[in-house]
Amino acid sequence: MSGSGAGGDGAAAPRRRTVLLSGLAGAGAGVAAGVGGALAAERPAPSPDTRLAAGRASARAFRGTHQAGILEAPPAQAAFVAFDLHEQADGDAVRRLLTVWTDDIERLMAGRGTLTDLEPELAAVPASLTVTVGVGPRVVELAGAERPDWLAPLPAFPEIDALEDAWGEGDLLLQICAESPTTVAHAQRRLTTSVADLASVRWVQRGFREPFEGPGIPMRNLLGQVDGTVQPDVTGLDADLLWVGADGPAWLRGGSSVVVRRIGMRLDAWDRADRAARENAIGRRLDTGAPVTGGTLDSAADLEATDELGFHVIDDAAHMRRAHATAPHERFLRRPYSYDDGVEGGGMRTGLVFVAFQADPARQFVPVQRRLAQADLLNLWTVPVGSAVFAVLPGAGSGEVLGQAMFA
Amino acid sequence: MHTTTSSATRRVALAAAAAMLTIGLAGCGSTSSEEPTDAGSAGSSAPLTLQDGWVKAVDDVPSPTSTSMSSAMPSSSASGSAGMDGSMPMTAMFGTLHNDTGSDITVTAGSSPVAGMVQLHETVKTDSGSMQMQEKPGGFVVPAGGDYTLEPGGDHVMLMDLSAPLANGSQTSVTLTTSAGEVTVTVPVRTFTGAEESYAPAPSAS
Repeated sequence: MSGSGAGGDGAAAPRRRTVLLSGLAGAGAGVAAGVGGALAAERPAPSPDTRLAAGRASARAFRGTHQAGILEAPPAQAAFVAFDLHEQADGDAVRRLLTVWTDDIERLMAGRGTLTDLEPELAAVPASLTVTVGVGPRVVELAGAERPDWLAPLPAFPEIDALEDAWGEGDLLLQICAESPTTVAHAQRRLTTSVADLASVRWVQRGFREPFEGPGIPMRNLLGQVDGTVQPDVTGLDADLLWVGADGPAWLRGGSSVVVRRIGMRLDAWDRADRAARENAIGRRLDTGAPVTGGTLDSAADLEATDELGFHVIDDAAHMRRAHATAPHERFLRRPYSYDDGVEGGGMRTGLVFVAFQADPARQFVPVQRRLAQADLLNLWTVPVGSAVFAVLPGAGSGEVLGQAMFA
Repeated sequence: MHTTTSSATRRVALAAAAAMLTIGLAGCGSTSSEEPTDAGSAGSSAPLTLQDGWVKAVDDVPSPTSTSMSSAMPSSSASGSAGMDGSMPMTAMFGTLHNDTGSDITVTAGSSPVAGMVQLHETVKTDSGSMQMQEKPGGFVVPAGGDYTLEPGGDHVMLMDLSAPLANGSQTSVTLTTSAGEVTVTVPVRTFTGAEESYAPAPSAS
């Protein structure tokens, strides 16, 4: 019945629209009048202020134990931006860069322009903006802090990797997420120019998620699969799978790590696979995301179930079986985004920016990735072309600068 | 004529500041926290404060012995101005002066440990129609309970004859002489590619 109110609004609105269009017709657009009238009758006029108010109201908190942009439901738009510090950078340069970013990010997330922003109007709609800062080994070393062993390139996965330097490791990472693409673009521009004398952009990976999927429903990737179904309970019992604790370097406690892998999709080959083959490749139904052994999206897969011929219902090389944690610590928080950068050159320009947060990628992520590299039907259609690992700084408390504990 | 131009500029600037404030309040869903580097200037008891203040970074200050223009001129556009003759490094401070008292406060002069000379500047249109900066007669009058905007292309505090580079992400301090006493503000330094306007008359060390 919630629709009746909207219908009431709409009943009045088309009349206004019709008058408006009639005016246009009078000005010489006579041919369009009939079409416009038909449109007006079936399309209620939106209230333009609703979206703006929602966008402005949705500012997320910057300061806290952890950085924003990890636990929140992922907004529809994202940019992952890797930077290289300039060659002559020293620890002081790192400290100054993080000072600038801390201030910039706090302002942008609150819907304000940065200090030097001559176009603060572009920041006025925070649209759930979060900016999350990661650092590579060079930053940690310049700051004089202890480098965790895992802060290094992932081991090679020669069975599948086709890594390109263009998408490789960097000194710094910004994960910029918001519901508005303009908000993401503006934050990216301001955060890039504000440190232009200290660091240069190495790569940018833009990503998107389906804006019309409901809360709590995992995203559907561009293979049509429901992606990111099984997640650890990182706000509850599994929190120590996400955040660096007492066994990690002191400067990183409350922080995390992020693996950013760019996974190209061979959509032309995927187009030749029928739906049964596609569902077999992952072990889940395409429509509901439920395991092919039955149930719903959240049902546990029956990895032992067999068909009448004695074969496993979930294929021995199905992505789901191979990715299934064989130990409780082989889990991590996935926060992927799709990308689709056109068809230039006929190569793979479509895929997934795979993003995983975990306390220790070597312990939690690598065993799973190794199994997938050795056997995973999905590898027929996916190719990793980029890979990078960053330490995710802890959150900044009141008056603190991001990463300041590195200098302690 | 200059008075007319500057008051018109100020009206526009204040309107913009008011608009920003409204947007900020509407959009701010989290607890507000002051820029930590503003702490020195945000004392509630100060009659005059600088909000969202910043100084444009200068990464290329030629040594006094350097007379070669070529050593001073290739500075990136992100650096502060090296001056019209390439030997007079200068920069500017921007932000919003806020008067917390019931009487107008006039800023009449300034000083800074990093600048040999500090001037209060306005931006005016010259006979040729271009915009130029010059010292503002009478200084900045911050109205009782009101704001006064210092911004690129408008009024600003000019720091001249710099003795050292001002690095992006660092801080510096500026002392303003006002009708309500001296006010020292600590301001963050930021890289900025704008504010490359010309200055006239050319500052001279004399």
